[in-house]
Amino acid sequence: MKAIRVQHTGGPEVMEVADVPLPQPKPTEAVVKVSVAGVNSIDGQFRDGSLRTPLPFIPGQEGSGVVSAVGAQAKTVKVGDRVAWSGVLGSYAEYVVAPEEHLVPVPAAVSDEQAAAAMMHGLTAHYLVNDAYKLRAGETALVHAAAGGVGLLLVQMARAMGARVIGTASSEEKAKLAREAGADEVIVFTRQDFETEVKRLTGGKGVDVVYDGVGKATFEKNLNVMRSRGMLVLYGMSSGPVPPVDPAKLSEKGSLYMARTTLAHFTATREELLARTRDLFAMIADGKLNVRIAKTYPLTEAAAAHRDMEARKIAGKLLLTP
Amino acid sequence: MELVELPVPEPKANEAVVKLAASGVNFIDVYVREGRYKAPQPVVLGQEGAGVVTAVGAEVTTVKPGDRVAWVGPYGSYAGYAAVPADKLVPIPAGVTDQQAASAMLQGMTAQYLCHDSFPLKSGQTALVHAAAGGVGLLLVQMAHNIGARVIATVSTDEKAKLAREAGADEVILYTQADFEADTKRLTGGKGVDVVFDSVGKTTFDKGLNVLRPRGMMVLFGGSSGAVPAFDPLVLTQKGSLFLTRPSLTNYVATREELIMRADAVFGMIAAGKLKLRIEHTYPLAEAQRAHRDLEGRKTTGKLLLIP
Repeated sequence: MKAIRVQHTGGPEVMEVADVPLPQPKPTEAVVKVSVAGVNSIDGQFRDGSLRTPLPFIPGQEGSGVVSAVGAQAKTVKVGDRVAWSGVLGSYAEYVVAPEEHLVPVPAAVSDEQAAAAMMHGLTAHYLVNDAYKLRAGETALVHAAAGGVGLLLVQMARAMGARVIGTASSEEKAKLAREAGADEVIVFTRQDFETEVKRLTGGKGVDVVYDGVGKATFEKNLNVMRSRGMLVLYGMSSGPVPPVDPAKLSEKGSLYMARTTLAHFTATREELLARTRDLFAMIADGKLNVRIAKTYPLTEAAAAHRDMEARKIAGKLLLTP
Repeated sequence: MELVELPVPEPKANEAVVKLAASGVNFIDVYVREGRYKAPQPVVLGQEGAGVVTAVGAEVTTVKPGDRVAWVGPYGSYAGYAAVPADKLVPIPAGVTDQQAASAMLQGMTAQYLCHDSFPLKSGQTALVHAAAGGVGLLLVQMAHNIGARVIATVSTDEKAKLAREAGADEVILYTQADFEADTKRLTGGKGVDVVFDSVGKTTFDKGLNVLRPRGMMVLFGGSSGAVPAFDPLVLTQKGSLFLTRPSLTNYVATREELIMRADAVFGMIAAGKLKLRIEHTYPLAEAQRAHRDLEGRKTTGKLLLIP
């Protein structure tokens, strides 16, 4: 089968098209014929070596497709099932082998593209607004990188819950996308100081919660824009890791909370993964959640997709089709 | 600290003068005395008291002469009389004595906000309470137990273990003899606790993160062993998408409504016999020095009061 292979870590050019043997399922695994693979920043981190995995490897964590073979003890899926997944390395390929408990069914009303595009970003946005900090109607949330992959979905979900959403974005173009997604206010942080603006927009009160996938660049100011006892949810670090935090700061700035979360802990059981995915796919099927697919590339152009992702010019999801 | 004769204070427009019946002795008083916390000089020490209103300023509407009241925060409780902003005074109900009120304002309201607001503890959950025989600890154990939570407590001596058990702790770990990380994991079948209430800080923080369940909450509300040094937030991810808060009472009694609600909740528990205060010793006001020496010697486990 055709796959993208990384033999040594580096830039997008280290991803080469290769012919590799078709994977065989272990007893509790399934092999899936990949329809669509999602492109995520975490794929770039594995490719360039900032996250480690044994070499050589096939990148890609997320996708959708049809089960083509199952192991002897597999019980939850069968050949022919339409499924999607995240957190399964090897998705940039014609076929991927996955532990069956990682595969979730895709309802008929959700396309392969939508399913592949929504798994990581959609499930992340879902746990952020429902579990990391349970947003309530009338509350105010600050969403950084509101036109980013998670951001656009987070804004829509937060609005659907009745919260007021203040987004930040780097350009007018992205600000427009965030507004279309439902952001009440958008701060173009390259022109305006987000701390000053958020204080002004909340009448000095501050927001109830900050959802931050940016990290280093926004951390200090985040602490100044929350209400007393507000919550900072750090779920990523696109600008680099947050430097060490003195817990006393949380006290000084008003008995604040902080969390540093990752999706795996919010889909840890099969029940939770299924419940979250069902919820997510229902929102997509009902037209309540618009998943913005920016561009679809042939699998063989994975390197081009990574270059585009890392140039940060494209807002929305990038997909690969084998 | 010297005993002096001062004129009885006159209330400003927004103040009430309280004739003190009892004043609480707290570590914060030691820090102010030492200069670690800045206060105007000279200062009448003491930030917690109870007594009877004797005079009110022109704009005061919330209390009147004769009312029994208590407060925490404003200076001046180590005295016969104190002038206190009226909005800081809470009424003491009939079922609560002046000494109980003076004992409960700081530690009682702290324990109350910790398990009801910093982390709204639910029946069936498990909480780890460090320094469980300390001032806040003993109250927190009782409240957590009353909520229906399972309480794992850490203490330093057998004597304190007994106190913690009497307060309702289900399990007590003598951290001087056993590793609380290993024991907490064992006691929770490897699952970890839902919340850690930690006023110890430096010596317990890292291991505390290791005994939390995924998505559990670390409530760090003091640093009796020293301040927790700056830490890499990614540690919270690695240990299971953990939550951290570093609260202080001020933010939990910020409005008059919240102050009254919280004081009422604590007084209600005392009056109903559901919260036992441990008043260890009362000193005449003139012996404030001795009270501070006893407190700093860390030989005491219960509340110390000064009586004018």
